[in-house]
Amino acid sequence: MILNKPLLEPAAGVAQPRQAATGVDSRFDCTLYPRVQNRGIRQPEVRPPMASLNPIQASPPEEKLVVVIDDDEIMRLSCEQILTKAGYRVETFANGHDGIRRLREIRPPLLVVDIKMPELNGFEVIRSVRQFDPDMAIVVITGYATIETAVDAMKAGAYDFLPKPFTPGELRMIIERGRERWRLIKEAQRLRREKEEVERRFITLVSHQLKSPLVAVKQYLDVMLFSLQGQLPDKAVEWVGRSQARLVEMLTLIQDWLALSKIEGGSWSDLAASTPLAPIVADIVQDQRLLPLAASLTIDVALPADLPPVRGDRVSLSMLVSNLVGNAIKYNRPGGSISIASTLENGWVKLVVRDTGIGIPQEYIPHLFQEFFRVKTPETQDIPGTGLGLVICKRIVTELGGSIEVSSEEGQGTAFVVRLPVAEMKKETG
Amino acid sequence: MSETKTVLIIDDDPDYVTAIEALLQSSGYQVRSACNGREGLHLARTIRPDLILLDVMMTERTEGFFMLQEARRIPELSQTPVIVISSIYTDQPNFRVSPEAGWLPASLFLPKPVDPARLLAEVRRLTEAAADPIGHSAAGRRES
Repeated sequence: MILNKPLLEPAAGVAQPRQAATGVDSRFDCTLYPRVQNRGIRQPEVRPPMASLNPIQASPPEEKLVVVIDDDEIMRLSCEQILTKAGYRVETFANGHDGIRRLREIRPPLLVVDIKMPELNGFEVIRSVRQFDPDMAIVVITGYATIETAVDAMKAGAYDFLPKPFTPGELRMIIERGRERWRLIKEAQRLRREKEEVERRFITLVSHQLKSPLVAVKQYLDVMLFSLQGQLPDKAVEWVGRSQARLVEMLTLIQDWLALSKIEGGSWSDLAASTPLAPIVADIVQDQRLLPLAASLTIDVALPADLPPVRGDRVSLSMLVSNLVGNAIKYNRPGGSISIASTLENGWVKLVVRDTGIGIPQEYIPHLFQEFFRVKTPETQDIPGTGLGLVICKRIVTELGGSIEVSSEEGQGTAFVVRLPVAEMKKETG
Repeated sequence: MSETKTVLIIDDDPDYVTAIEALLQSSGYQVRSACNGREGLHLARTIRPDLILLDVMMTERTEGFFMLQEARRIPELSQTPVIVISSIYTDQPNFRVSPEAGWLPASLFLPKPVDPARLLAEVRRLTEAAADPIGHSAAGRRES
């Protein structure tokens, strides 16, 4: 699944896998949100997707549904009667256990619960409901209308209470208010989600718009150099090469900025995911070994086979490792070496990326994780970089609940030590 | 090359199309182009290209993907090799789609801007393999 998440993200959509039998093609249901109008950005026309895809119709929760839990049959019947007349659908339960089981399934907006019941009392019901539904409006019915009981019920997470005996009008009113509150909570949640979504889409769109012209220019230069090999004066070749490098610099900057915005928007790091580090490191080393700069370097990887998976998704972790390994290559020296090692330490996976490169002068170390900071020495002036790579690393590690430290000696080399929490055994990605 | 192979470029950036068109033409390919998925699909049905080069983010943000899925449902295009070329891959470190996953039935993915030598090599490989039903021969390949 991790693979199509990044793909659909630029589309601001949702992909949902459908379970299919082994050997049968998998199916994906995709929901694409309509484009938003953004300020000042060229807006392509809004059209429905070309393919006929089934949008997921998440059935909206039934708004006028009340669950009543009371051991007193008369009370159950009268609540049901009053609320049914007021247009609600009512389900009643005589004890807490049955009630909770059903509440968990149907998640109604409203619950009316008696405080004094044999077995599970009202407080216990409230507490266990709050564990799986923080928003349900819970009204407590109590025979002892003391301030203390009311306060206790509120503390346990009830929304309001109703002392016995009560009139039909009182019950209706309190339920109406509860429903309104629940509706407002849900509305606020929806708006918050929408706002985040709009921001995410805006970032993706802006980044695409910024990159397109650069990509076109670079593509012309690439094709020109390739097609006119041997026909251009040396100076022209050199200058085109420099232009290409500057374009790559700008493209990388946009890409890093996009990554940073996504991390900050919280849309990347999936804390529930659990990912083994070894394959990520292996893939990245395999890719980066091919870089011209890495040609003369020795890269040594030592990750024990029994290393437990760490918390976080593949995309975030790849970005982290890729930046660290990339730096170890960029800031190395011809013939140098890099070691990537990992150990399990007190419930943390410790990843150390060490190089024998140019090192970092001590006075620069405190600034390494600041946006756009770059070490400026004669040795670094020709090394391309955006000053965002380590910022990205730091943000990812922080999101995942880990830490990153650096130690370096000028002229000797640098080591980055990352500690990542071991994943709780839930689901595997990658 | 026994006969001239036709490559269809589907991309909304006219400059990118011009550059790639020139590159392919100078290597002896016949090139046609379309600037969106709809037009691309229509043209593909008409001219039956030997290979399609497909962008992702055009009018719609995932237009290329939809077009590809749509194309695979059309019998005469179901076997045409497709190279998806997009700059979105550079936003996703180590982005890889395994064609075996089945949901994105492209033969190959390349980052944009595309390396001319690499592109020509892949175009040659895929158009020559095309006589024998496609992409699947290349399906196991990973972008690296």
